Amino acid sequence: MTKLSNNMQMTNDLRWIMDIVQNVDVGLVLLDKNYDIQLWNSFMQNHSALYAEDVIGQNLFKCFSEIDEKWFNRKVESIYLLKNSAFTTWEQRPYLFRFNNYRPITGRAEFMYQNSTFIPIQSLTGEITSICLIVYDVTEQAVNNLELAAANDKLERISKTDGLTGLLDRKAWEYQLTNEFYRLQRYQEECSLIIFDIDHFKKVNDSYGHSAGDEVIKYVAKITQQCIRKTDFTGRYGGEKYVILLPHTAVSAAEILAERIRKKIESATISYEGLSIKITVSFGLSQYNDSLKSATAWIDSADKALYISKENGRNQVSLFTHAPA
Amino acid sequence: MTQTTLLSEDQRDCLQEISNVAMGQAGDHLARLLDSFVILSVPHVAILTPAEIAMAVQAIDEDSVSGICQGFIGGGIAGEAMLLFNDTSFVDLAKLMKFEEKLNTLSERELLIDSTNILVGALLRGIAEQLDIEFSFGPPAIMGQHQELDKVLMSKNARWNRTLVIEVNYKIEGKNVQCDLLLVITESSLPRLFGKIACLLD
Repeated sequence: MTKLSNNMQMTNDLRWIMDIVQNVDVGLVLLDKNYDIQLWNSFMQNHSALYAEDVIGQNLFKCFSEIDEKWFNRKVESIYLLKNSAFTTWEQRPYLFRFNNYRPITGRAEFMYQNSTFIPIQSLTGEITSICLIVYDVTEQAVNNLELAAANDKLERISKTDGLTGLLDRKAWEYQLTNEFYRLQRYQEECSLIIFDIDHFKKVNDSYGHSAGDEVIKYVAKITQQCIRKTDFTGRYGGEKYVILLPHTAVSAAEILAERIRKKIESATISYEGLSIKITVSFGLSQYNDSLKSATAWIDSADKALYISKENGRNQVSLFTHAPA
Repeated sequence: MTQTTLLSEDQRDCLQEISNVAMGQAGDHLARLLDSFVILSVPHVAILTPAEIAMAVQAIDEDSVSGICQGFIGGGIAGEAMLLFNDTSFVDLAKLMKFEEKLNTLSERELLIDSTNILVGALLRGIAEQLDIEFSFGPPAIMGQHQELDKVLMSKNARWNRTLVIEVNYKIEGKNVQCDLLLVITESSLPRLFGKIACLLD
């Protein structure tokens, strides 16, 4: 009689343990040494749309081609040897099993982000006979983190950008220049600096109004961006003054670029609210040279060349010549 | 709690011995797993303040040192393991771990996490066995990814004043891989730990 009730007790215990395993809101998968699936709980069935009877006894990699067998093997090897657990996190690997998003209204990700833990399962003799995978749905957390990171990126971008032109603002551009200057002091490379401004900009403002002036500033920025390469840094230095930093570029090549921008702007007519505005720009160029003591000295040298362009009648390109060392 | 009452000479010796034994076992397991000889320093048992740990963490800069933390808890004893890889070549580490993926920022992070899990797991398993407890582990997290650790430690609201830290140094023979492992035990689990040690000392 007692034996029978003991048996009943055990059967009951097993029942509720199995109920919990089935219904707990994490994925549970048991794998034997050959990676054949031994347990597949409701969470896994519901998200994979594969019933336990479809996958039990089947090989994991045959059922789920998204799991890289070599990678998985390496992960599991240490579990058998050290009897420790192993982990995957969504930051390094978004998922172990690819499960599609199942919430049409509030689901914000294409698939379920997962963290997973691999734990060793020991037999009564202490030998590890199988591995249990615990799969956590961390989609909410992952999406929130990713959105936060994206928002921070955007804020950082905005904080570096000049609002009117979309070019780097003066502070951000000077930061690039200083970095490049220190790099050039260590590695002997060619690098050129262009500084240019709109000729008689005050007249534009006075005759057409400030919003027309803004339009002109935007237009010059647009033309400049069309002419430069992805590796160049263009900034609005202030007012109607612009700067371009051209890494790996000799001043002769910079001169070709400056001429191209100059001609484009000279030949363009800017239309703004029925007005047709013609403008020109003047350039000063300076190539990096060992004699330069600071990034500021480099800007000053280009500025001197710009002054020469202005002196000589504007709408032209001048080069700064470094005194021989 | 003053330093003298926090850790007696006997307790320090005992912890040192437990760590020594655990390191020996860990070295043996790791050698088999990694097919390389692992050089382990003598563990250093110390009582440290958050600020002192922060100093170790401040040495981390994105380029040359990587820091990874992993929490552990079991048998009333909890703590966090902090692994600092210094002067470690990712290429060598990848070879060691038989890591075949192409190395980029993402896979390097996975490599760090996997390595941490193995190094920490190997050592703590030996310690747990001697104390007759079992630890469960959280996933390792790379420092700086979610929070700047030195700031957390340096802040006035650190939830503890002084605690027990066991420091171990790993080097892999013939490879550019070396790291410091700090086991930081929570202040609140010290009574339990010392209780366990008292049994061993008798």
